[in-house]
Amino acid sequence: MSRLVPRVLTFLVLGIAALAITAPFLWIFRGAFSGSDAELYRLPPTLHPSNLTVHNFGNVTEQVPYFRFFLNSVIVSTSITVAQLITCSTAAYAFARLRFRGRNALFAVVIGSLMIPIQVTIVPLFLVLSKLGMTNTLWALILPGIFSAFGIFLLRQHFLALPRELEEAATIDGAGHVRTFARIVLPLSGPSLATLGILCFTYWWNDLLLPLVMISDTDRQTLPVGLVLLAGRFSTGSLGTIAAGIAMAIVPVLVVFVAAQRYIVQSIASSGLKL
Amino acid sequence: MTIRTTPRSGVDDHPVAGSGPRPPRRRRGDGGPALAFLTPSIIVFVVFVLGPTVGVLVLSFYDWNLLSDGTFVGFDNFDRLLHDHRLLGVYGSTTYMALVILVVNVVLGLLLAVLLETRMPRLLRGFFRLSFLFPFVVSASAVALIWRFLLNKDLGLVNYLLGLLHVDRIDWLGSSAFAPVSIIVVNSWKTIGFSILVYIAGLQSIPNELREASIVDGANAWTRFWRITFPLLSPTIFFLVVINTITSFQIFAEPRVLTQGGPGDASRTIVEYLYDTAFGDFDLGYASAIGITFMLVLIVLTAIQFRLSRRWTFYE
Repeated sequence: MSRLVPRVLTFLVLGIAALAITAPFLWIFRGAFSGSDAELYRLPPTLHPSNLTVHNFGNVTEQVPYFRFFLNSVIVSTSITVAQLITCSTAAYAFARLRFRGRNALFAVVIGSLMIPIQVTIVPLFLVLSKLGMTNTLWALILPGIFSAFGIFLLRQHFLALPRELEEAATIDGAGHVRTFARIVLPLSGPSLATLGILCFTYWWNDLLLPLVMISDTDRQTLPVGLVLLAGRFSTGSLGTIAAGIAMAIVPVLVVFVAAQRYIVQSIASSGLKL
Repeated sequence: MTIRTTPRSGVDDHPVAGSGPRPPRRRRGDGGPALAFLTPSIIVFVVFVLGPTVGVLVLSFYDWNLLSDGTFVGFDNFDRLLHDHRLLGVYGSTTYMALVILVVNVVLGLLLAVLLETRMPRLLRGFFRLSFLFPFVVSASAVALIWRFLLNKDLGLVNYLLGLLHVDRIDWLGSSAFAPVSIIVVNSWKTIGFSILVYIAGLQSIPNELREASIVDGANAWTRFWRITFPLLSPTIFFLVVINTITSFQIFAEPRVLTQGGPGDASRTIVEYLYDTAFGDFDLGYASAIGITFMLVLIVLTAIQFRLSRRWTFYE
């Protein structure tokens, strides 16, 4: 009896939290199929087929270049992720395993730059990119995201924790740093690289500030801004169309997330984020 | 920031803290390879971090609106900062929202993570984890748009549910008392899953023997948490405090989409104020000065956290 109460309480708390998180998604998915604004807001919601329609999804692609937004978002997030994995892992290897003058000072600069987020430097960043003629292109969204002090720090911590014996054996076998890095260190770093990749991809997939500042053509916007543009037509379009647009932005993420969730959870869990 | 490639002899000054025997004696330092490995990062760092940081410092001494040439105005922008009542208000609302989000994510996140690690069927645990983490990967603007529907004063689901409990309709997005609360709820709702996941990782790294030994010694759950779990988890908690502070002070999308910072400046964040000043009013010099204050705030906050952490974090 005395052990039952805490267990019931545990499931009650977890259940309420899970409901609070899933219910808004379920509500917006149902709203995406509603035939009218009144139907969208009908409470409690009904699932009667006569009130439901799929027209909203077609309306989304009519009102905004949805697939273009989606493609832009994929290009930007993927490019940044790949570039970040390359630059962060090579820099982290240098900080973890190579001996050179000024290493500690340089690493201190990297850590210090954690405190200068992109929001602080957005104005000169805009000026630099417009001087380079890159504003209003996807380059303006990709290039500023590549350097990641957090990524270098995360991977360096992981590289430091790797057993040195394997690398030493490789050195004795005559492998240079490039080979040791590519053949020994990287293959042992799957979870950390995956963690950085996931965090990087989701951050830039979600970013609203940079595209708002850098991009003026609708065709070159990313999905987060695209959704805001679609919702900006609150006055003209139907609410069901906006709900459908949101649902269309979420479903691909949901599919990837459910498919890869074990890997995502495992990699973040096993990389042991701490300071 | 120069990297000297002069050879260094000997391994005595090997500065990397690592385990195991020292590596085979190399006669030269690794300056050359180091430069090669660091070059990609150095290039993007100089062009997109260091350059713009210097740029912010320089721009803050200018009056510039993009169209005309900038004029050097000395400390005028900083003088303006001191007399900007809106800035103070915006920092107030940003700090209020950021601190509550920080506390919710760090405390409620820990509670949910500890509950998730109790005994339960695998499938159920998987479902809970999945649902807690999912909003973290959805874009903030989609999340904010969903909640714009849910928090609608007259038609929204939240007020409907509160109505069932006989609570009067709340003007979630239009009143200065509740607009910041809405931002807090929506942002925590989206980000708490990340904290939960990092906690789970920390909890799983605590050796089971310690817990078992304490049970044998007759410690109850409360004592076990404070004497074993909390100290061993303190580096994880510290990481989450630092990260959640930095990210919650940077909030932009939620107020932008949900409340436009209003009513008045009640839910305006510092990033939104900077954005409006720079790209709404095209007051680039003053926006840069605001950026510098933001940078200083983050530096001071992080320094304080590191200083305080020595009192309560525990490293094995």
